[in-house]
Parts: sequence; structure tokens; C-alpha cells
Amino acid sequence: MAEPKTKYDRQLRIWGEQGQTALEKASICLLNCGPTGSETLKNLVLGGVGSITVIDGSKVELGDLGNNFMVDESCVGQSKAKCVCTFLQELNDAVKAKFIEEYPEALVDSNPSFFSQFTLVVATQLAEDSMMKLDKICREANVLLIFARSYGLTGFVRNSVKEHAVIESKPDHFLDDLRLNNPWSELKRFAESIDLKVPDPVAHKHTPYVVILVKMAEEWAKAHGGTLPSTRDEKKEFKELLKAGMVAMDEDNYKEAIEASFKVFAPRGISSDLLQIIHDSCSEVDSNSSDFWVMVAALKEFIVNEGGGEAPLEGSIPDMTSSTELYVNLQKIYLAKSEADFLVLQQRVKSILKRIGRDPDSISKAMIKSFCKNARKLKVCRYRLIEDEFSNPAVSELQKYLSDEEYSVAMGFYILLRAVDRFAANYNSFPGQFEGELDEDISRLKTAVVGLLNDLGCNGSTVTEDLINEMCRFGASELHAVAAFIGGIASQEVIKLITKQFVPMVGTFIFNGIDQKSQLLTL
Amino acid sequence: MAESTVHQSRSRDLDKLLLRPGNLVAPTFEPGAQLRDDLQEYAKILVVGAGGLGCELLKDLALSGFKNLEVIDMDRIEVTNLNRQFLFRLEDVGKPKAEVAARRVMERVSGVNIVPHFCRIEDKDIDFYRDFIIIVLGLDSVEARSYINAVACGFLEYDSDDKPIEETVKPMVDGGTEGFKGHARVIIPGSTPCFECTIWLFPPQVKFPLCTLAETPRTAAHCIEYAHLIKWDEVHSGKTFDPDDPEHMKWVYTEAVKRAELFGIQGVTYSLTQGVVKNIIPAIASTNAIVSAACTLETLKLVSGCSKTLSNYLTYNGVEGLHIKVTEFVKDKDCLVCGPGVLLELDTSVTLQKFIDMLEEHPKLLLSKASVRHQATNLYMQAPQVLEEMTRSNLNLPLFELMGKVPRDIVHVTGTTSRDDKKASCLRKLCLVFKGADAVTDQDMAVGA
Amino acid sequence: MIRLFKVKEKQRELAENANGGVPIKKQTAGELRVNKDISELNLPSSCTMTFPNGKDNLMNFEVSIRPDEGYYLGGTFLFSFQVSPIYPHEAPKVKCKTKVYHPNIDLEGNVCLNILREDWKPVLSINTIIYGLYHLFTEPNWEDPLNHDAAAVLRDNPKMFESNVRRALSGGYVGQTFFQRCI
Repeated sequence: MAEPKTKYDRQLRIWGEQGQTALEKASICLLNCGPTGSETLKNLVLGGVGSITVIDGSKVELGDLGNNFMVDESCVGQSKAKCVCTFLQELNDAVKAKFIEEYPEALVDSNPSFFSQFTLVVATQLAEDSMMKLDKICREANVLLIFARSYGLTGFVRNSVKEHAVIESKPDHFLDDLRLNNPWSELKRFAESIDLKVPDPVAHKHTPYVVILVKMAEEWAKAHGGTLPSTRDEKKEFKELLKAGMVAMDEDNYKEAIEASFKVFAPRGISSDLLQIIHDSCSEVDSNSSDFWVMVAALKEFIVNEGGGEAPLEGSIPDMTSSTELYVNLQKIYLAKSEADFLVLQQRVKSILKRIGRDPDSISKAMIKSFCKNARKLKVCRYRLIEDEFSNPAVSELQKYLSDEEYSVAMGFYILLRAVDRFAANYNSFPGQFEGELDEDISRLKTAVVGLLNDLGCNGSTVTEDLINEMCRFGASELHAVAAFIGGIASQEVIKLITKQFVPMVGTFIFNGIDQKSQLLTL
Repeated sequence: MAESTVHQSRSRDLDKLLLRPGNLVAPTFEPGAQLRDDLQEYAKILVVGAGGLGCELLKDLALSGFKNLEVIDMDRIEVTNLNRQFLFRLEDVGKPKAEVAARRVMERVSGVNIVPHFCRIEDKDIDFYRDFIIIVLGLDSVEARSYINAVACGFLEYDSDDKPIEETVKPMVDGGTEGFKGHARVIIPGSTPCFECTIWLFPPQVKFPLCTLAETPRTAAHCIEYAHLIKWDEVHSGKTFDPDDPEHMKWVYTEAVKRAELFGIQGVTYSLTQGVVKNIIPAIASTNAIVSAACTLETLKLVSGCSKTLSNYLTYNGVEGLHIKVTEFVKDKDCLVCGPGVLLELDTSVTLQKFIDMLEEHPKLLLSKASVRHQATNLYMQAPQVLEEMTRSNLNLPLFELMGKVPRDIVHVTGTTSRDDKKASCLRKLCLVFKGADAVTDQDMAVGA
Repeated sequence: MIRLFKVKEKQRELAENANGGVPIKKQTAGELRVNKDISELNLPSSCTMTFPNGKDNLMNFEVSIRPDEGYYLGGTFLFSFQVSPIYPHEAPKVKCKTKVYHPNIDLEGNVCLNILREDWKPVLSINTIIYGLYHLFTEPNWEDPLNHDAAAVLRDNPKMFESNVRRALSGGYVGQTFFQRCI
């Protein structure tokens, strides 16, 4: 029996064999294996990533037993990386688990080329300067990078990669691609072959709504100089016409037609999101362009030429009230058109590849097919370098967030998470990390916050006293529940980046454990 | 002395939150070592479900200062659990989830005691649930949530001003996931909406029309449901279909394939067959981790007061980017499960008939043609005839006696109200208090003893 | 939110008078709603109900329908209802226990009635369902068949359909299928 397949059944239903294969090929490096790092890897080991390498230079202390599930009493005094690695390995023997007993900060400084062997690095609990250094290293080496940090009742997660292009974005709700506002000739001909006034009531109530709408739209256009309903009154009138076509109250196909009539009214052509992608400067391709952008270049040509303003047809149709025969025939018509569109796009991809001096067959048929099927849903995510974000902040965004009630706490935590690193750089410990100096630490942290706000160009803005006090109270603690939350999010982002499915978050996720009103800040 | 140092070190991180005063905390927060120790000693928590969420919850709670946990789950471990239920190994397949999960967490986190219950939630007496300070739910079914909700809200009592009596409030923290999406919520019966107040949040399951399955199948799922719902009965007269029997599943799959071929339909696979027949919800480790962590944090905050609480419903969606939203739902003041009900004071001599007449006159109710139910007993049913006849003899008996001589209890009445000359049917919760009944029951008890 | 000292006190109290209460069966919201539906039933005399589990358990019951007009006049048809604890979030499961020659009911007792599956809504009630079932006998329809053969006969040859129904009701074969007498 294929045990691994059964074991992964519940996730294969989400990302499929392809996604799973990508995970199984991935090698993940973890920096610091406190609870945040351990929990991130736990979720990935369970899902079956190829290999993990745990890097941590510290020894297990008693305090670690209170917040990390991947150590126990027998570990005290031993290498944390080794102990965590051993317990993680127990979760899934298909994963290759390694550890290196070394402080990540030292590794970043001494051996930057070390990181290029990995698919992705998860850097947890790292201070600002190491983050910036590592960010540049990974950017240079084209290694995916995710930062995660838990700090008392707050924390953050941030992805860092120059560009992440997604073909299979798999959105939850996305309008189907039926072209009811712009039917092609085969679909029109098929609709023409069907009589809406068929006397047999069974046939009447089993005429699919696609046919009803194509025919009614055609009829409307004939009577209205080639235009489709656009004003409110016209739309209402169109729906009345549909209603008049019913011969019985319970005709679900007509009800569906009325509900779907907005698809006839919708403007033709591509969405503004897709428009932005085809006009991206990367779509001017050369020999250095990625496969994705080569396909986008082909898509751009397709849209202005064969597509007549539309992307390649997706080819699948939703279920609808219909006789089996009409539905299956309709399916075939959509499939044939999408196949034809694919062939055209494939040809365009080949000639572009040839033009830029690449092997015309270097992008697989399956890849181009998937690209066509998902052409309307393409996503491109880009991330600034951390250093860039820090030294060249988007002041207007910062100020907007600080003054917006919904965002001000999250923004406050963003500032504070950076301020504590400045504090630590000055005083060799985090505010409130040790007992006895709380009051002094509060005023020192306040000073650090004011200094940081000034440097960010937000003079005059403040972070509330309450929040500063809370941050000192947190004292750099790593609470297990917060670490599990942050680690959970980090691991989910890892999966999206590696499988190249779904859309990773863009911006900095700030956890707000006080009232759970966490936010994603784009800075 | 040595032990207390060890103790302190272990809760190094948690101590920051529990021992230090804070500004953004609950009004009840009393920071100090006492709080930490009380949390360990007195806060007994029940985790319902030892699956994807349950495993995470047990770990998270054990590492959040709680030492007295119990877990209840009727299921046994399956291979398909292993991609997320991290307390289980391949060699555990077939063993009770609750028992293995409890053991694994106790092995790893010393000092934590977890009592497993390998049974259905309905198998436990109501009093079993009374013992816990909070009930945390890691479930995947509406039925089970609804049941626990009814139990927890059943403890709730209101004072004469319809304010919840604090000692009777049994909070619940509930989590749920599906793929990259999930929710976490806090239910404080009497203050925040209970599960029934917002049952509409759960979308009903999609059901295909039987005649579509029989006559006009169009999708692979139609073919599968035909084999499962229609063909199975036709061929196996009397034998019930068992979704956990692989032979049964294979039979359905084979039949579905045949049907799909007959109609020219694509896409029937064994995996889809299982998915459709068992209504499998895809599940991954990361989402379970996120939702359980949120639930645990809320549990810690509720019990200790060390920060504010979620008010009251958190949704997480990681499909496209990351969306976290907190919604403050409002409770249904007339909720049959968590609402106070209408308080009525009665003499112990009032007969059921007299009581029904009183409801018609009562200014708050104006309820005519009432049927009355007390706990699981129908005291009187207006219709249908057969039930009316069976309950008619109760009409002349004192209500106090019919209700087992308790001084105070809830009854549910249904009937017709007329408001503004409009008749509407309604179902109301009433809280009945019998005048002078305390003395009577005390006497009874004395005699009984 | 929770006052731990109160919990401490309560635990002491519990320990002091641990007498063990009478176990009470918990009522689900579904039970309450079914009760309401049933107490408000307004059925024609042609529909009667029985409660095999007694007057207090209304989650499983049977309804017998004796149509007083149409093809099925004089027959008695028994339906079993199984109500879920989360009723009315979910429709009851209804099966026809009497084998019947009917276009919308198959020989296994599956019933094609939209409100039992795809069109169920919590505002509907047991009363609506019973009326829906009654309606199936007075107006069987061949457009949504579950028994394909019966539907075809009703469409193409109503006379023959009528005689087939009469034969089935009085106990006999229609084609290869035997029907028990139910008049």
C-alpha cells in the first residue's frame, strides 16, 4: 500500500502531487530553534519537506522546558540544535534532519556562502543587524527567506525574496470564464442549434443557462444595435425577458440564468491586475528572463492579437442545471477553445524563446498549459530588502498607520520591535529582560522609540505609554502559544513559497496578542 | 528551596506575563506567584477532541502554565491523521487518540497531568463538564459543537435582573480549520453569543437533488453520489454502507466509474470518491497550529486576566496573502440555549392546565395554545392528536410535581403569540421559580436521608 | 474574566458535599425545534403520525399518508423521519417504507423532493415536508424522475400508468417488480 500517499492525503487535496513533490525537494534551514523556530519546522516536517538543517549555538536551559515542546528534561545542558533536531526527526522519518551547533549571527558573519545550499531559510529571533546582513546574502544567492520573531504578546513574520511569481494562485472565489459577454463563434453556433421554446417541458428545464444567456444576449444585441444591456433599466429589462422565458415556476435553469445575467453585463477584456502584469517592465524579455516572464510576454501578444482583448480561455465550466448531453457537449466546446488558445500561446512562447536565444522547447507543455488555465489569476509578489525598508521608510504609509485606529497598535508594535533591538545594542539586554530595572528600562525604551520615530521621519508621532510599558513587561519572553502562532504562519508562508501555489503575504505581519487584532503592514 | 528555583526557571518566559503588573490587562488581573501557582493547581481545563486541533491544544496548554488537563475523543488514530496530528506515529494507528495524545504530552512536559477519555461526549454525565473552568473545543462537526454548547450554557443561571451569575458561567473557546482557513472564538455564555446564536455562520452542506443523480448526472461527484446513495441500496438490500470499510468504498468507486463512462463524464478518482462520500475537509498542520495557538492564548488570558480577550470571533485566511479579522458578533437575546428566558414565579399548587392558561394572560408572553417541555420530557403537547392524548392526563397535576419538585428550573413552551394583531408561532424559554419550594425540598431531603 | 479564588472556593465546596447529582440528559437545540414543529402540526386527516420511541423522543417518527384523491387514492404509505440534533440546520432524513410504483420515489424508498435536499432551509418545518410528500401522491411528476420507468409511462401513457398504480396498490407485479398490497 502506498503509505506516504495516504499519510499526506489531507494535504494532497490542497496542493496536489506537484506541490508535494516541490516540498519533498526542498531543503530548509532554520536559524535559532527556540519555540518559534521549532514550531515552524514541526509543521514542515509533518508535511514532508525534503530536509531540514537546524542551526543554534545555545545549550538547553531549564527555562526552555517551559516554552519549547521539542526539548525535555534529559536535554538540559545539551546542544539545543541537536535535541530539537532529534525530536523533530521522530515526527517523520522521510525527512532528512541535520543540525549544526553554531550561533547564526556568527555564521552570517563568517560563512555567507553557507546559505546558498538551501531552498529556503527561516530566520527566527534574529536582531536587526543580522537580519539585514542575512537578507542581502539570501537575495544574492537567490534563496527564499522568511523572518519570524515572537516577543511577549507580539511578534512578526516577513517574507523576503526579490520576486515570487505565482501561476496557480487558487483563489477562493473567482469568477468563472464563460465569455457570456463575448462568445466565440463555436459557442454561438452551439447556442443557435438549441431551441429555447422547445415544447418538451423536460428539455425546457434542462437547457443550460449558458445557452439561454448566449441566445438572449444575441437577441438583445440584434435589437439594440449590437450593444449589450448596460444601464440599470436595460439590465432589469433583460432579466424580465429571461423571466418571461420560463414555462413553469420551478425551472432552476432559468433561475440560474437570472442570477448569472451579470456575466452578460460585465465589461469585456482583462482585469486591471492582469493589465498591470503584462505591462510590467519584466515582460520586455531577454535571455535572462525567467520562464514566467517569457510566458507573460507571450500572453501579452496573445491578448492583443488572437485573444481580441481576452486572455486564453480557462476551459472548465461550473456545474449547472442541464441535461447530461447538453452539459457534456458544452464542456467539450469550452475545452476545445481553451486547447486552441493554448496551442496559439505555445507557439508564441516558442518564437519568443527562439528570439531571445533560448531552446524553443525549454518551457514544458504542462507548464504552458497550466499558465493558460490560470492566466487570469497570475500574481507577482515583490519584497523590498529589509535594509531598504529600514533606511528608506515609506513615511506616508507609516504616518497613515500610526494615526489609523485599526492599525495604530500593530504599527506601535512594529516600532517597538525595532526599538528593542536598538535598546539591546546599547544596553546588552532587552528592556525588562531582568527583574529590578523595569522603571529605568521603560524610560530608556521610550527614548529609543522617540529616536526611532525621528529617524523614520515621523517626528511628532508617538507610541502610547501603555504599549511601551507592555513591551517592557514582555521582557523578550518567548511564550509558547505566541511562538506556535507565529511559527504556524511562518510555516504556511514557507509552503506557499515552495509549492508556488496560493499567494504569500506581502508586507510585514504584526501579531497583536492583546486583542488579536493583528495586521499586515505594507511598508 | 532548590525546587522553587527550578520551578521559577521553568516558567521563565510565562512569569513575565503572570508576575508583572500590566496596563493592558483584564480588571481581574492579580499578578504574582500566587496566580501562577493557582493556574497550575486549580484551573482544570477540558479539551474536546484529540485530532488536529486537539493535539496542538494539549501541547500549547501544557506549555502555557496549565497542569490539569483532560481530553475527550471517541476516535482512533488513522494513517491520514499523521500529516498534522503530531503526537501520533505510524505504530499508533488504531489506538484511541485521547489516550496516545495524553501520554505523549505527559512524557514530554513533566508535571502536567492529562486524563484521557476515550468515549463520546454524550456518554459523560452533565456533571462531568461542570468541573472545568473552561472548555476548549477542537472539533470538526456542527453537532458536537452544538452539544457542548448546550451543556455549557445549561450551567448558566441569571439573577433577577437577567444578569448572568458569575459562578455559573462556563466559558468555551472554539477553533476550527479548513485548508488554509480557520477561526477561533470565545464564547462566554450570557455575555457573548453562544454557538446557537450564530449557527448561521456554518454553511449547510451541499446536497445534490436525487433526481439529478438518477437522471441528469453532469459531474464526477454526481456519479459518486449516485453509487453511494442510490445504487448501494438497490444492490445491497438492507446492508448499511460503511464509509470506513475499504471494500464498500471501492465498490462505490467502481460503480461511479461505470456510471461516468456511461454518461461521458470525466474525473472520477478513488480519492475524489472518498472525499465526496466522507465529506473530507482538507487539513494541514500550519493552520491547526495557528488556530490552536490563538485558542490557547485566549484560554490563558481568560483564566489569568493577564491581557485583554478576543472579542469575540477571529477569522484567519491564508489563501491569498494573509487576512486576519476580528468580528464582534452580538448575542441573540431570545436565544433558547443561552438566553435568560422569562422568569415566572408560581405556587407549588399550580396545575399544568392553570399554568398554560396563565401564559395566555402573561403580558410578556401572551402565548396561547402552549405545549410544554421540561428537560427531556413533554409535559403537554397540543398536537398531533396521538401526543395530545398521551399527555392530556398531566393537565390536572401540579406543575411542581411534574417537574420533580425542584425549586427552580427551565421549561420550554411553544405556542402562538399575538403581537399587534399578528399571530406568530414561537418557542420560548421560561425560568420557573416555585414560591416557598426551598423549604419543601429541604424537608424532602431530610426525610430521604 | 474568571476569578480563580472563586474557583478555589467552589472546588472546596464540591469536595465537601460530593453527593453526585442526578444525571440529566441534555437537550439539543434541534430537539426543541422539532418539538415546536410537531406541537404546531396542522395535518389533514389523511396524514397520521406515530412515535415509536414514546412521547418524549420526537427525533424519530413515522408518518403515514392516505391520499384522498388522484392515482394513489386509497393507498397507505409509510414514511420514516430521522431528525438530526442540529435540525433545522440540516433537513430530516426521510424514507418511504412502503414499496411504491411512483415516478419520484424509487424502489428503495428514496424520495425526490427538493426541500429534503438541495432546497432545504431552516425556515421550513416538518409540516412543510409532510405537505410536500402528500403532494407527491396527488401530483406525481414525470419531469424529475427517480423511478425512470414509472415516469416514462406516466408521460407517454397516463391510462397505463393509472392501471399500473392500481395493480401495485392492490398487490401485484408491474413489469418484473412485485409490490405489496397497501390498500
